[in-house]
Amino acid sequence: MTPLRRDVVVTLILVVLAATVPYLTSTRYIVTQTTLFFIWAIVVTQWNLVLGVAGIFSLAQMALFAAGAYTTAMLGYYWGVPIALAMLAAAIIVVILSVIIGLACLRLRGPYVALLTLAIAQMLYLLIVNDTDCFTNPPSGCMPLFGGVRGISRFGDLGFRALLGSKWYIAHYYLGLVLLALAIIVSIVIIRGPLGLAFQALRDNPGYAMSRGISRFKYQLWVFAVSAFFTGLAGGFYAAQFAVVGPTVFSLSQLLLLLSMMVVGGLGRIWGPVLGALLLMLADEGVRELGDWRDIGLGLILILFVVLFRRGLTGAFEDLWRRLRPGKPLTAPGS
Amino acid sequence: MDVVIQIIASGLTLGAMYAVSTVGLSLVYGSLNMLNMAHGALLALGGYICFYTMTALGMPAIVGVLAAVAVCGLVGLLIYICTAAPMLGSAQFETGVFIATIGFGAIVENVILRMFGPQPQPQSLQIPGDIVIGHVHIPNQNVMILTVALVLMVAMALLLKRSRLGRAIRATAQNREAAQLMGVRVGWIYAAVLALSGGLAAISGIMVSSLYSLLPNMGGDPMLKAFIICIVAGLGNVTGAVIAAIALGLLEATLQYNLGVQYSFALLLFLVIIVLIWRPYGLFGRKQVVRL
Repeated sequence: MTPLRRDVVVTLILVVLAATVPYLTSTRYIVTQTTLFFIWAIVVTQWNLVLGVAGIFSLAQMALFAAGAYTTAMLGYYWGVPIALAMLAAAIIVVILSVIIGLACLRLRGPYVALLTLAIAQMLYLLIVNDTDCFTNPPSGCMPLFGGVRGISRFGDLGFRALLGSKWYIAHYYLGLVLLALAIIVSIVIIRGPLGLAFQALRDNPGYAMSRGISRFKYQLWVFAVSAFFTGLAGGFYAAQFAVVGPTVFSLSQLLLLLSMMVVGGLGRIWGPVLGALLLMLADEGVRELGDWRDIGLGLILILFVVLFRRGLTGAFEDLWRRLRPGKPLTAPGS
Repeated sequence: MDVVIQIIASGLTLGAMYAVSTVGLSLVYGSLNMLNMAHGALLALGGYICFYTMTALGMPAIVGVLAAVAVCGLVGLLIYICTAAPMLGSAQFETGVFIATIGFGAIVENVILRMFGPQPQPQSLQIPGDIVIGHVHIPNQNVMILTVALVLMVAMALLLKRSRLGRAIRATAQNREAAQLMGVRVGWIYAAVLALSGGLAAISGIMVSSLYSLLPNMGGDPMLKAFIICIVAGLGNVTGAVIAAIALGLLEATLQYNLGVQYSFALLLFLVIIVLIWRPYGLFGRKQVVRL
């Protein structure tokens, strides 16, 4: 079996296992928290493609996620677009936005890209929070174009509330699962396919790769665009799930959480980000009572893993596996 | 005429504040290739330490400033020991250190939050009175900020150009291996640079908080602006950073007067993006030939 097929099969098995969760538990909290896990896992698998596979040091992913959420909410609120349609439209708009950001950023070197993308995210945040002019005046009071500090709510939902009543969250669970499965499969295809090979060649021997006509810029722009689609879609789904979008999606502690997920799981690997997302969501549940200590703990985890376990947990497992089975040839990087 | 004086006065004050925090960042990047994302937290820490020594301990202002500089210098050292030192020379140093310092910054910020609470506090170091030029009143606070910044810049220039430490810092920045072969202890130089940058961050934090107010996350915006200034000047270029800081301060004051506060930052960022597309290595940066 080729590695690509193997990974797809593993994905399908995991999806089937995850699909049984709502039957095993009747606790609504567990189901909705798992849905939230799906959302973050989508974002980090896509961010991992940009950061870990393509080597673009971009922090724009949270801004793209927010753009997806805001576009969905605004399409629903101002024009009454059905949310499922709005999510798709938002994903496409986010792809366009990401290509524009990519065109501006990708000619720059690593740290410049990080700072510029961070600055773009901050600019969007400030534009949303500082905008206090009323765009419309609904009965609930003044409503700025982007909802201001309070955010946007009451923009409709996916229609499952009308269809299933109080069980709507189970439908959202399955929708999130399907989106995550698609996102993982896209990431497998990119890592195992020609794009992944191109980036591996550019890493291993950039001179030879470029002289064979592999354009770093072109492939990086492709990854930027593809990963933006699912990130935008995840943002739209986040809006539908929580029925409100506010400027908190830009917060530093959110960025910290997602970065930690990737670093803990292992950057550049297929299963690393998903594993990291799962572990950190579980850890987050465990320290829920500690409140203020959460960000301090996340900061410590981040430093610890970056400094001591550079390749994350998946990398550490791989090293262990190799040591236990010395006869086995080295596997290709990225597996 | 009065408007012009007003804009120049506030622009110079802003520029002076930015310059103090930018020089530290630029120095760190120039010598270590390290983007210190904990810099904003250091700004806040400096402001709070000064506030704490003056109000809770009842010390005079100068003690407050010195305490802030000392504590932030030590924390700068700690940043070096915890994040940069273990990773020096590893393949993905720039990315790794960037992520690790984000974590460090979050820790410092949350410790401040736990100790002083989320509500804004006024900075106790305030100089009353103002100077009148034409019909414009310029607070002594602003004059003080400008003076302190000028003195600091001259001191930094002397340190870098004349002293033994400064020569070692510049040598390390130009070529680490060569400096090491000439007997420069590179590790010590890096530690010194981060401590120095921490001390500068403390002073910058006191300046910023005396004009606005103390908040645990007050460092985020000035840090981002400092980074933008670094980018425009070309990362690691200290002289260029000072010029760019003053220029951006004046530009920001003009934009704020003409367009209002809420759009000035967005427009500033837009200008920076244009600059970067035109000259990807910064206005004063040299084009680097990347060897494979």
